[in-house]
Amino acid sequence: MPNNSGKVYGLTILSPILNDDEASPSHDLQIRSYLAGLSTGRESPFAQAPGTHLARLVVMDDVIFVGAPAVEEHLNSKYLIFESNCDPGPDGTIDSYLQGLAEYAGAHLDAIWSHCVGYPGASDRAAFVRYMKACQLETTFFFAAVNDKSVPETLRALQTQKAVADFVETHQGMQPGQLRAEFLQLVATLDAAPMPAVASATVSREMKIGGRNE
Amino acid sequence: MSNINGKVYAMNAITPMKPWKTWVLRLIFFVLGHVKSLQQDLINLSFIEFARWVVVPRAGFPQFGNGQEPEKLTYDYLLFFSNFNGTWNQYIDAFSAVLSKGLNLIWQWSEKFPGSVPVTLFKEYIGRVQFDTDYYFTAYPHATANDLKAAHAVQASYDDLRSRVNSLSDAEFADAYMSFVLQVQPNLGETGEAPVVF
Amino acid sequence: MSKLNETDIQGFVLRGYNLPYGRYILLRFENPDRARALVSKLLPIITTGQRWDNGKPQSTVNIGFTHRGLAALALPDATLLSFPVEFQQGMKKRADILGDTGLNAPARWDDVWHGNDVHAWLGINGLTATALDDCCSQLRSLFAETRGAVELAAQDAVSNMVDGQQTGKEHFGYTDGFGNPDYLGIERNSQPGHGKQLPDGSWAPLATGELLLGYADEAGELPAAPIPHILASNGTFMVYRKLHQNLATFRSFLDEQSAVYGGGREKLAAKLIGRWRDGTPLELAPDAPDPSIVKDPQRSTNFTYGADGAGTRCPIGAHMRRAHPRDAFGFNGKLIDRRRITRRGQTYGRFVPEGELASDAEERGVVFMVLNANISRQFEFVQQQWIEYGNDAKQGNDKDPLMGNHGGHGKFVVQGDRSATNPPLVCAHLPSFVELRGGDYFFIPSMTALGMIAMKLVDPR
Repeated sequence: MPNNSGKVYGLTILSPILNDDEASPSHDLQIRSYLAGLSTGRESPFAQAPGTHLARLVVMDDVIFVGAPAVEEHLNSKYLIFESNCDPGPDGTIDSYLQGLAEYAGAHLDAIWSHCVGYPGASDRAAFVRYMKACQLETTFFFAAVNDKSVPETLRALQTQKAVADFVETHQGMQPGQLRAEFLQLVATLDAAPMPAVASATVSREMKIGGRNE
Repeated sequence: MSNINGKVYAMNAITPMKPWKTWVLRLIFFVLGHVKSLQQDLINLSFIEFARWVVVPRAGFPQFGNGQEPEKLTYDYLLFFSNFNGTWNQYIDAFSAVLSKGLNLIWQWSEKFPGSVPVTLFKEYIGRVQFDTDYYFTAYPHATANDLKAAHAVQASYDDLRSRVNSLSDAEFADAYMSFVLQVQPNLGETGEAPVVF
Repeated sequence: MSKLNETDIQGFVLRGYNLPYGRYILLRFENPDRARALVSKLLPIITTGQRWDNGKPQSTVNIGFTHRGLAALALPDATLLSFPVEFQQGMKKRADILGDTGLNAPARWDDVWHGNDVHAWLGINGLTATALDDCCSQLRSLFAETRGAVELAAQDAVSNMVDGQQTGKEHFGYTDGFGNPDYLGIERNSQPGHGKQLPDGSWAPLATGELLLGYADEAGELPAAPIPHILASNGTFMVYRKLHQNLATFRSFLDEQSAVYGGGREKLAAKLIGRWRDGTPLELAPDAPDPSIVKDPQRSTNFTYGADGAGTRCPIGAHMRRAHPRDAFGFNGKLIDRRRITRRGQTYGRFVPEGELASDAEERGVVFMVLNANISRQFEFVQQQWIEYGNDAKQGNDKDPLMGNHGGHGKFVVQGDRSATNPPLVCAHLPSFVELRGGDYFFIPSMTALGMIAMKLVDPR
């Protein structure tokens, strides 16, 4: 299945956004506004629910006209795109990941997807998973640079790397007996260390765009 | 809206294709997916964390009734999502410089695709068909694909030494530790803030 | 590729003069008409790329303009707006992109850069100190006669002398100036390792458009350039950076680290940059310097990193391996061919031999000048991605050990092996060995373009 690459999964979901002339602001704008204020750090729904490496949410307003002689055409609905690179269940399916989202981030999902056609809400887990899978598109080709590591394994590895770099630097030239004792201390420290928080390093940063002029 | 979170950039692009051409493209992707050696350049580029192409047939946009009008389209659409490290220009430059044949194979079925060489026309096209990301999440904003590979390599060496440390004498440990340092020494770069986007 | 018109290109662009005395004068234009009159007077004394059949001249003069300078010369708005964004902004506004923050922040630069007054740069080089002074007197009388420009500052530079002989050594003791690329059509004593590497391992000149506007570049297209084309053709862009060197900090760093490093002081100095201080590349001679390699153009720049992926000869993060990665990033160097820069540097300040007392506070460093067709794609990319960041080199956020803006927080891993004289070493808490004291981006026009500017003959299109 092209949705799977090794131990990671490429989830692509397109949910049609409600087209309601009475809504003000319109539903797509309400999604946009909610997403603009949504945390990308530890409070993110994707940090609270397990299994997301990278994910994005995009309001797709329309298809893009590339210029004549191509034909100009338009979508009748706007779509909410949910693109996630995530850890599937042990069976390789996406069900457990979607259930986790509903369980840990249901309120956020409801706030976002309630603007989409046919969304049943996250509280009915089975209906939620059915809906999301009904919105899913088969990924035609999926590439993952690292496809054999879960999110927790990755966070651990980053923590270990930092600790090892510091250890090597501070133990240069040490006598063997003491070195071994200190290494055992490092092992004890790392074993006892809590799982590093997902997305914890996110620091808000003013965007500075230098322009594309090449 | 932000296409950027920490060290990753989220690119979205959509291009129209005449429906008969999508079958050619599907065949190309099928071969690319099953002949791993063909992906080697993508792997070697080393600044792409995840990337995917999704062919959406003109009748394939999810439909739920309930007053949702069906789509009436003449084109199929190719969606492209990439999560890459570094600058937008660096990314497109690299694609054009070393992957031009592969990219042409994938995008030449799209309307008005100018070819991936020379790069300025290619950039204009990507710029035109790109649409922006409203919300972008990464579990590890301070790490690039290279940083991740380095960290996993360090973890593997560390796990190995950790599993043996109790069975080694001080002298044996000193020797094993030296081997460990030699293994991890290419992979000890700091992780941290990304440079300012330009 | 036809032969370039060397009489139309400023000489400084085509070759390093290798004259021992330099002075870089920064000017502000007062009035467009008088400034153009000054440019007219300067035209006949600008040094072009024409060959010196009768030996080196006593002195040379070259000129460049900031974007504000071109505006002060009253070029048409449509032309001014057609220049690349980074040149319009100038280097100071690009400080965050370049990592010119903290110790390198514009607030700490020399006074002349604090305003936005620098309009033009005059680069003067002399065979002797007297020749340099004579030339500068002539120029200054032109400033006075035309009242076209005010001299804001003059930066003197002089090649370091050892035993009375001019050397290519900079203040840290490294022999400099090996790595400039070759370009198609530019006559030069070419040697393997310059230019770009081809799939068969041989070396070829880079496309002319990587250096000069108006010619095809490595992407197979003309580089972005201002309009009209005739204003741009045979011109280029220059990045001017005054880099202060903390000599005392550098030497005490070598002393402290080599006390614990089995390779010794000289090898550590070599590991920072990738060459022994005499210029011998570590890749070719990892154990000791070899003067025969340095003297041999077939060997001195003829090496790659492919067989040293682990960095045990030349560290993966060493200065030279970052700034010119050769084959280190794979794809036969195709990812780096559009990131090359030509450097023209000259030292300033008193040279203090090893063993004599030096202080960081003394004025000492290098006037570092970069020539490239596209500042954003070439210089800025190298500075941001390869010097102040390490991802392409697979060294995370680690910066260039020698050039990086560390501020006491830098890290550098010297990859090693099991031998006693080449052990691994991790240097942490690196100080800044080099600090930025100012600079800007300049357009270096062709002689034709200078004439057009002087005579107010620039039409946008």
